[in-house]
Amino acid sequence: MLRVKCPQDLGAGLLFIFIGLVGIYFGKDLTYGSARSMGPGYFPTWLSWIIMGMGAICLFKCFTLNGPPIQRIALRPILFVFAGVLAFGYLIEHIKLEPALVLLVAIATQGRSDTNQKKMLLLAICMAFASVVIFVVLLGQAMPTWSGDYLSAAFTKLWSLFSSAKGA
Amino acid sequence: MDMNMFQNLMTGFAAAGTLQNIGFAMIGCLVGTLIGVLPGIGPIPTLAMLLPITFGLDPLTSLIMMAGIYYGAQYGGSTTSILVNMPGESSSVVTCIDGYQMARRGRAGAALAVAALGSFFAGSVGTIFIAGFGPPLASFAQKFNSPDYFSLMVLGLVTAVILAQGSVLKAITVILIGLLFGLVGTDVNSGATRYTFGISTLWDGIDFLPLVIGMFGLTEIIRNLESDTIERDPIPTKMKDMWPTRAEFKEAIPAALRGTALGSLLGILPGGGAVLASFAAYTVEKKVVRNPSFAFGKGAIQGVAGPEAANNSAAQTSFIPLLTLGLPSNPIMAIMMGAMMIQGIQPGSAVMTSNPELFWGLVASMWIGNLMLVIINLPLIGMWVKLLQVPYSLLYPAIIMFCCIGVYSTNSEPSQLLLMVIFAAFGYILIRFGCEPAPMVLGFILGPLMEENLRRSMVLSRGDPMIFLQRPISATLLFLTACVVALIVLPSFRQTREEAFKE
Repeated sequence: MLRVKCPQDLGAGLLFIFIGLVGIYFGKDLTYGSARSMGPGYFPTWLSWIIMGMGAICLFKCFTLNGPPIQRIALRPILFVFAGVLAFGYLIEHIKLEPALVLLVAIATQGRSDTNQKKMLLLAICMAFASVVIFVVLLGQAMPTWSGDYLSAAFTKLWSLFSSAKGA
Repeated sequence: MDMNMFQNLMTGFAAAGTLQNIGFAMIGCLVGTLIGVLPGIGPIPTLAMLLPITFGLDPLTSLIMMAGIYYGAQYGGSTTSILVNMPGESSSVVTCIDGYQMARRGRAGAALAVAALGSFFAGSVGTIFIAGFGPPLASFAQKFNSPDYFSLMVLGLVTAVILAQGSVLKAITVILIGLLFGLVGTDVNSGATRYTFGISTLWDGIDFLPLVIGMFGLTEIIRNLESDTIERDPIPTKMKDMWPTRAEFKEAIPAALRGTALGSLLGILPGGGAVLASFAAYTVEKKVVRNPSFAFGKGAIQGVAGPEAANNSAAQTSFIPLLTLGLPSNPIMAIMMGAMMIQGIQPGSAVMTSNPELFWGLVASMWIGNLMLVIINLPLIGMWVKLLQVPYSLLYPAIIMFCCIGVYSTNSEPSQLLLMVIFAAFGYILIRFGCEPAPMVLGFILGPLMEENLRRSMVLSRGDPMIFLQRPISATLLFLTACVVALIVLPSFRQTREEAFKE
């Protein structure tokens, strides 16, 4: 009876074999060519076979050598962080940068159960404006914002005041 | 020092010495130190996260800033090692051992000062090393042909495996997967699209930023979120305690000299770099020093001075393979290479001749950056200690914001964020299965280059793989690769390698 002695190796072995199979299967449509004139499928197909072979060795090892267990996969932070990032990506064009950032932080911080909601929201709003200043005003990156133009104007004004004060 | 090198360095200082470049070097060092000191984020995620900020700058300025961030992050890691016994990154793991013990004895200031001064000295020597070894190595690299480049990359990737934590088998496979990911997109030779699954975002290949930021930035955040909050209680340090005593100097100086020499050499090796150098330096110190005033592990100053000097000089000289051969020797250099390619520069021997100002400017900026680190770190130590106390719950929202804005700003496409999430998930799974994700970047960057050189070699030899053994340079490199493989497989070496990572 086969017994898994190293769950980590089992996982890694299966993952590698899967990636190798995907590489071989989708590499089939590419021209393989020959060693003399390599087609676009030549190198990737070789790589995929080797990756699969390595996966097979890993799989073999998991039944023979003892190893550490797979640590618990914490779903909560993963789900909320990913949801926040995706929400940011798909909403920024519609609701612009500042609300999208606040939303991102509001969702992602649910990844911890001990988050202080009020404090976090306040922090998110402050950081959203700080980001506009850093990325849009100072670094000049083009992004849809509500406050970018006003903040830029304020900065130019301040700068001119500062330089005229220095001149005088 | 020969005249030419002096002249070259002058060109470099002229290019790097503009107000703008010095300013950005300063900002880079400051931001790097800031993030390096903050909990839970090492130099790889720091560089990945801040890479988009440098896009708008001209190539030299952006590279100077990236290099500054790198040194800063590395030095910040040493500060946390000494004051809270928590290495910010793997190259300062050994600094914890004696640095923290020194701090507990009340000599935190001296440990920090020795680390800073040792690093500065080592960095200066490393810079001279690059100036001296760069040009001959680059002209030697002109003799390289496709088969030699291919063998060089094989050597580099295999050596990188030594430094990856955990199983060698998994590390090699992770690199191979990186190579495969690097091939996604339109094949330059045939125009065929590979592994794009009909998704137009992938036609130009997998973008570098979503990959690195996802795998290192986001994955790191998730891993920190799932662990319970770690209390960080830094040992209070004041400026006036900073000066080491005469006795401490007497012990630290030879150690720093040994560390510098060792680090400069180990940094040049393909696959070498700061991590290898600091571990090796600690081992050497333990062997060489007969009767230290404090035993190793109990706060020996040599255990701080040696590894700190070594990791800094190696950090400098690991630029040599990148700048002269176009071969990144570790994941951090792979990110620097990515940054150069985004700026439209193909790293390699041609950079020095076609763009001498860029090359020598970068070299000169390394020295400037190291000087700034001393200026930033010694007088401002009180501020960094305060920053150590910032709770993670305030930090990670800011880090997530930076990651998202950085990835989005490159081409304003939501699909890039999806890609980032996919790679974050992939990185997380790899870690859970006991594979270290960092070597993947190396493979990813080298994938297309390796394929191209293999293709050309095969055209040259009409399909005969013996060409790799017939050419002397290539054969030598493959022989070295075989030696490295033998080393890895050898049981006695395996044991020391595992022990080194345990410490």
